[in-house]
Amino acid sequence: MRNFLTTTSAAAVLATSLGGAAFAASHGGYTIGISNTVQGNGWREEMVCAMKAQALVSGKVDSLNIAHRNTDAAGQLEDIRNLIEAGVDAIVLNPSNADGVNSAIEEAIAKDIVVVAVDQAVTAEGAYILSNNQEEYAYLGAKWLFEEMGGSGDVVYMRGAAGAGADNDRHTGFQRALAEHPDVNVAHEVFTGWQQDQGKQQVLDYLATGIPFDGVWTSGIDNVIVDAFIESDVPLVPIVGADNAGFVGQLASVDGFTGAAVTNPGSIGGAGVTLAIQILDGDVPADSTVLVDPSLWANNDPEGMKLIEAAQNPNLDPEWPVSVSIPGWTTYSMDEIIACKGPGE
Amino acid sequence: MKRLIAKNGWTLGLVALLIALFIFTRLIQPGFGASGLESLSRATLPFAFATAAMAVVVIAGGIDLSVASMMAVAGVTAAVLMDGASDAMAVPLVLLVLGIGLAMGALNGALIVMTRVPDIVVTLAMLFVWEGVALLILKAPGGAAVPWVREMIVGTVLFPWLPKAFVVLVIALAVVWVPIRRSNLGLSIYAIGSDERAAYRSGIAIGRTRIAAYAICGLFAAMGGLSLTLSTGNGEPIPGPYLMASVAAVVLGGVVLGGGRGALLGPIIAVFILRLVRMDLTLLSVDPNVTTIVEGSIMVAVVMLGGILAVRAGRVKTA
Repeated sequence: MRNFLTTTSAAAVLATSLGGAAFAASHGGYTIGISNTVQGNGWREEMVCAMKAQALVSGKVDSLNIAHRNTDAAGQLEDIRNLIEAGVDAIVLNPSNADGVNSAIEEAIAKDIVVVAVDQAVTAEGAYILSNNQEEYAYLGAKWLFEEMGGSGDVVYMRGAAGAGADNDRHTGFQRALAEHPDVNVAHEVFTGWQQDQGKQQVLDYLATGIPFDGVWTSGIDNVIVDAFIESDVPLVPIVGADNAGFVGQLASVDGFTGAAVTNPGSIGGAGVTLAIQILDGDVPADSTVLVDPSLWANNDPEGMKLIEAAQNPNLDPEWPVSVSIPGWTTYSMDEIIACKGPGE
Repeated sequence: MKRLIAKNGWTLGLVALLIALFIFTRLIQPGFGASGLESLSRATLPFAFATAAMAVVVIAGGIDLSVASMMAVAGVTAAVLMDGASDAMAVPLVLLVLGIGLAMGALNGALIVMTRVPDIVVTLAMLFVWEGVALLILKAPGGAAVPWVREMIVGTVLFPWLPKAFVVLVIALAVVWVPIRRSNLGLSIYAIGSDERAAYRSGIAIGRTRIAAYAICGLFAAMGGLSLTLSTGNGEPIPGPYLMASVAAVVLGGVVLGGGRGALLGPIIAVFILRLVRMDLTLLSVDPNVTTIVEGSIMVAVVMLGGILAVRAGRVKTA
């Protein structure tokens, strides 16, 4: 009986604590749901902040309903279905994988909810896709690196998360570049899990072996790799990373370091919100898929160096991509994305 | 009646909490109804099987940290085998995956019994082993599920408010657990969890019982992995967030972590509570960074309240 009373009283406590936030008044604008399955990663955090900032500056979004946590495709299905239950007008998601969340996306579309997948594609019919071209991202960087190595030698291949769709696409691009440079040998292949600490430890371990190598390709865990070389007092080799603020800063400031950043804008999230609003306003695009192709900024190329210098921003978190906006798609300011505030916050 | 309530106080309390949450959900989202229940049941399925898996070994006085990894192995195996398989092949394939789950669990148990290394260490090691096995089977999300098997957890059955996923969950758990619970094996599982030495002196084969408990855990984990493949339509080699979630539901469900006490019903209700809390937090647009804090705090508050009242009850009795 006591246990019964205990949990019943807990129910009352819970209901009271949650109740304060309930019954929020609606103001007639759009409600947009966000679904993201990686939390605590700089790139994804910038993506979510871009979504918030764009929703705020659009003036057309009353509230954002954000499901942002570390989970798998099944968890994302749950989140999308919860967003459907919440009655959102549109859902902008970074899909866990291309096919795994199709069933919930189709349920949303059947209820006239606009669905926009950003960063990675989905195969569900009726969904709009604004995706970074992940295969091209890896190909571009690997090709530059292998050429920088003189077309031969040993490369350390630092991938993302094992089994992740984006990692798989990037692997395809990397292999394509590798096939074009048959004298390049992958000396060491590791999965960083897209975690800074893990990536740094892995490269420190490899540097400690003393085995020589000629270049490092990273899947976006980059500035800590340069740090590891400097801290270990090992001569730097060419390193490819993403356009993260910390790495772009190193490209401009570290003496004797040759490297290249491949753009992979986290602000694609803000662009996804813009596309969702456009469709809700009745401005439906002719093509349901828009691919954002990456570009490469090498610090041994005057054009690349110009872009690297222009992108320097000490206000950004080192893990955040410097491409904080996408012309034509996002309209917020640098301060607004850094503030990371959405409508009603 | 009083005895019944006293005996099942924790479970009845959880039911009350669940009903309160349903009422609360209806208040904040008046449109919450059959489709919401259906979504909730489908979301609950993998968590419920993971929790049942964990509950069995915890009742037996152990713990299995490899539950989520075994789910990943079962999920990718099912996805690879079902890719392109005919409708008729689906049943033998499902049975094969369940058999693999049983074997994985039995191997975990056998290693614990034979090496005498603590279960937390063995299953931690096996967490990595099964994770690697899943990645060997499938490097990236892929494979497929036979459509009619997928349909088994989609929609409702008999009544518009009775989700198929819920019925599948109840039947799957009942078919496995009810006969075991009523058999000597069920008694033995509780006995070794309660007091291993007393169980030994009563003639219970400790090693075999422990292996059986881990095998049942593996079987439920395989069901969880299958439910993942059926939900998503493909297999994912990276384990999902089911390990800690299952421990949380087991604790909230009234199973004593030391073993010997508890049942499967409480933890399963706890899973529904935790999923419904997640749904409510989404409906309320609560800051996602606060969501996990709220979930954890609710769990601690409920378990602590229970603990405090239990201590007070003990003092009253001894006074």
